[in-house]
Amino acid sequence: MTDSKYFTTTKKGEIFELKSELNSDKKEKKREAVKKVIASMTVGKDVSALFPDVVNCMQTDNLELKKLVYLYLMNYAKSNPDMAIMAVNTFVKDCEDPNPLIRALAVRTMGCIRVEKITEYLCEPLRKCLRDEDPYVRKTAAVCVAKLYDINAQLVDDQGFLEQLKELLSDSNPMVVANAVAALSEMNEASITGSPLIEMNSQTINKLLTALNECTEWGQVFILDSLANYSPKDDREAQSICERITPRLAHANAAVVLSAIKVLMKLMEMLPTDSDFVTTLTKKLAPPLVTLLSTEPEVQYVALRNINLIVQKRPDILKHEMKVFFVKYNDPIYVKLEKLDIMIRLASQSNIAQVLSELKEYATEVDVDFVRKAVRAIGRCAIKVEQSAERCVSTLLDLIQTKVNYVVQEAIVVIKDIFRKYPNKYESIISLLCENLDTLDEPEARASMIWIIGEYAERIDNADELLESFLEGFHDENTQVQLQLLTAIVKLFLKRPTDTQELVQQVLSLATQDSDNPDLRDRGFIYWRLLSTDPGAAKDVVLAEKPLISEETDLLEPTLLDELVCHISSLASVYHKPPNAFVEGRPGLRKSLPARNENVSIGNVPQAAVIPAPQESLIGDLLSMDLTTPATVPTSVQPPSVDLLASGLDSLMTTSDLPVASTSNTGLLGDIFGFTPTPVSYSPPKILWLPSENGKGLEIMGTFSRKNGQINMDMTLKNKAMQPMTGFAIQLNKNSFGLTPARPLQVLNPLLPTASYETSLTLATTGLVQRMEPITNLQVAIKNNIDVLYYACIIPMNVFFVEDGQMDKRVFLTTWKDIPAENEVQFTLKNVLCNTEAIVMKMSQNNVFTIAKRNVEGQDMLYQSLKLTNGNWVLNELKIQPGNPNITLSLKSQALEVAQGVFQAYDAILHS
Amino acid sequence: MGGFYSYFKSLFGDKELRILILGLDGAGKTTILYRLQVGEVVTTIPTIGFNVEQVIYNNIKFQVWDLGGQTSIRPYWRCYYSNTDAVVYVIDSVDRERMGIAKDELMYMLKEEELNGAILTILANKQDVEGCMNVTEIYQALGLDTLKNRTFQIFKTSAKKGIGLDEAMDWLCNTLQNHK
Repeated sequence: MTDSKYFTTTKKGEIFELKSELNSDKKEKKREAVKKVIASMTVGKDVSALFPDVVNCMQTDNLELKKLVYLYLMNYAKSNPDMAIMAVNTFVKDCEDPNPLIRALAVRTMGCIRVEKITEYLCEPLRKCLRDEDPYVRKTAAVCVAKLYDINAQLVDDQGFLEQLKELLSDSNPMVVANAVAALSEMNEASITGSPLIEMNSQTINKLLTALNECTEWGQVFILDSLANYSPKDDREAQSICERITPRLAHANAAVVLSAIKVLMKLMEMLPTDSDFVTTLTKKLAPPLVTLLSTEPEVQYVALRNINLIVQKRPDILKHEMKVFFVKYNDPIYVKLEKLDIMIRLASQSNIAQVLSELKEYATEVDVDFVRKAVRAIGRCAIKVEQSAERCVSTLLDLIQTKVNYVVQEAIVVIKDIFRKYPNKYESIISLLCENLDTLDEPEARASMIWIIGEYAERIDNADELLESFLEGFHDENTQVQLQLLTAIVKLFLKRPTDTQELVQQVLSLATQDSDNPDLRDRGFIYWRLLSTDPGAAKDVVLAEKPLISEETDLLEPTLLDELVCHISSLASVYHKPPNAFVEGRPGLRKSLPARNENVSIGNVPQAAVIPAPQESLIGDLLSMDLTTPATVPTSVQPPSVDLLASGLDSLMTTSDLPVASTSNTGLLGDIFGFTPTPVSYSPPKILWLPSENGKGLEIMGTFSRKNGQINMDMTLKNKAMQPMTGFAIQLNKNSFGLTPARPLQVLNPLLPTASYETSLTLATTGLVQRMEPITNLQVAIKNNIDVLYYACIIPMNVFFVEDGQMDKRVFLTTWKDIPAENEVQFTLKNVLCNTEAIVMKMSQNNVFTIAKRNVEGQDMLYQSLKLTNGNWVLNELKIQPGNPNITLSLKSQALEVAQGVFQAYDAILHS
Repeated sequence: MGGFYSYFKSLFGDKELRILILGLDGAGKTTILYRLQVGEVVTTIPTIGFNVEQVIYNNIKFQVWDLGGQTSIRPYWRCYYSNTDAVVYVIDSVDRERMGIAKDELMYMLKEEELNGAILTILANKQDVEGCMNVTEIYQALGLDTLKNRTFQIFKTSAKKGIGLDEAMDWLCNTLQNHK
């Protein structure tokens, strides 16, 4: 007897009890048992062991029991993927049940079961349900297609579900339409290629617009969101869509309103700005936005975040609605801060008086954060609305008089900005500011004050004393303050060199000798050296004229703003970040606003894997351009410089890395042990093709290789920029051998910052031919979301040697004789360290075939043939003297221009 | 009348008798099940999983389980063995090539402890097709002569034409009654 019996506990305990109850004959008892199982499941107990028994309860006419069993299946099918197949037949039957509720239930559950093995069996029932007579079943089936797409996208395509889904877009029932739209948009977003699965056309859009008025509020949201992704073919269509959507602005559901606004914002981009239609539409957009602010605070916040975007994009919409953004005493702080932000954005000459009096009021509130922001807002108003600057400054001075510590500090920080915006205007207040010197305890305020003192040192009599007072506790100061102090004292010295020499020496030694901070030390040394070598230059550097600060430093970057406007009414518009910045695993399908008065299709598919037609021709034009206009062609196109740069980098890399040693090692070992090394054709190590400085952050290293009779361009793409790169595509210029990409460039999408990606692009030789200089030169254009980038590279000749380059002996002889003597070139291959056999082998791995071998007077003569992809033959004779590392290569070909390249290939291969 | 009823009740009680219909894929199991239940031929598709129906024959209630016969599903037959009163094993009489597999699956199944008390009915189905194996041939091919300690019977049937099913069910009912 073994001891295993002690471990067989299945006969006892809760699970066993449930098992026997599930197998009971009594329906009542069975139902109770399933309920118990579900109860255990929901509290987190593992009841997956009961899978077969629960599945056996599946075929029942009791709807309640069926629902419970389905619930169980959704949870545990994944943990019993093999056994899940037993449920398939029941699904198939239930999808044909006379009761539509059961049909829908079955199709919904099917979609939730993520088991690869059974998905194919579920296609047939799904297909039936998509054509079901009951709209509820059809709508559920539509959603199921999106779920299936997530499990197996290829299957959805193969089974024609996309087409069926598209048919549902014109369904008679609006609910079905809405769900089909929702499913399609979800699949589009998840699409691997990044291109939309189904292109909307004006007919489908029409149907959607019809369904819009009749379906539920959430259905309306789905439809509106997908309308937002559609780009109308012209502004007339855009206008008509706008007209039909406008009534949605009056909807009670905030989500519907925001989605409608999103569509309108997008379409308005296409319409002429000065048209009456846009003017009236702009007026219509304000009331719904205002209404959103009378809801509960949480919704208000979301609305405000969206309004923040809208105001930046189209300030006109809310320019008369300043009052609704005035802060109420009982607003939560997050609403207050957001409102303040919008107030500043809306501030203009006409309403500045009102705004300022409000802001002044806020500055006396109790909430510290809010007060600070209010004070800062006053400063921003001063910078934004030039006419109000004076009033703002006097308001700030009033606030400084209150002597409330944090108010004073904030005020000083913003006054520094005001000085930057309006130089030589308000310096009279400096003395007032200096009175508060002792109360400043925050780094930013201290740094600002020190900056002011340094900047206007010539107007402050006791500037040296003031700065000296800061110097006492130099090492306890924040870095920001230390840096500021250093610069300020140097400024002071340059302005009043006579009496501040001691001070400047003191600060320089503090910064350079006693500090551990490298930034501070570096800055100290720079000043020191500047001052000691050329005080004039120091003056130019330190006291240089500063550009005026722009009024809108806090605005979102325009491209980001455009993208976010496309995401109104989503988390992205609340975070003010593009979705791919916070959602993992989503390909970076970036949305952008349509371009006005242009061919719309460009804006519509910015991320297509292939370069869209209009741009393609552009690149073609650029590339086929002559070098007579070198200004637009990057310097790297000139072959010699590329060569130098490349080989220089190459040698740099090989000294620091090991690849050279490793390749020759295997060859050596192979020789010693008599191995035949696996025939791998020679491919040079990767070299830098596109440095990141020229590639807007994209760095490309690459080489060429020949594998399985095909030429590959092997590249390592590295993203050295701060933003993800997407939408890669490649084009080759016309070249000597007609190289052209055989398939689109495959690159990880998106290529995140610091990530690198190895890709191999198969090339065909079916492209256009144009003689290049040198003949192996290749000009490449790579496109991504940032720019189109150009570089040139040299192709090693050996990748063009084809596999059937072996010539018959006799043909070789006659061909050799037929080629005239002037078509013969001689080269010397230097320092070749292989014997004749090794040469034969190495060359044959690269499709250079030895036809004959002779020994003449102690010399080995090798006769070799090779054929190029363009059908040109090259015949070679190698003269090898024992003990002499130099080999003479005589080369004959009708197309002699390849000779140099062939020689280089020989040289590279024999030295590999 | 009441006495008659209680006679049956004493035999079977309210309990449904549990029958499994097994066999290779395409033998006609599902067709037989629905022939028994609704009395007509229904169009079927391969059963990926199972069907279970209540069948009343001669006033006896049966719970009939029809399990899919695909290779991938056969391993799960064993989940259904416990408490089984009878196994109906369906043979495609035309499929000479897979008769060996049918035999192996049958013998493998009969070895299961849980099926020790179960009665076996073998249906040589598709007898209406010309060129099919006859009952004796199938008896030989399945090696039924080696079966010990098993109540079993083989019938020739045609589910499509409705031939032989009644005989098989009558025998099953009688044998089950006597068995108790």
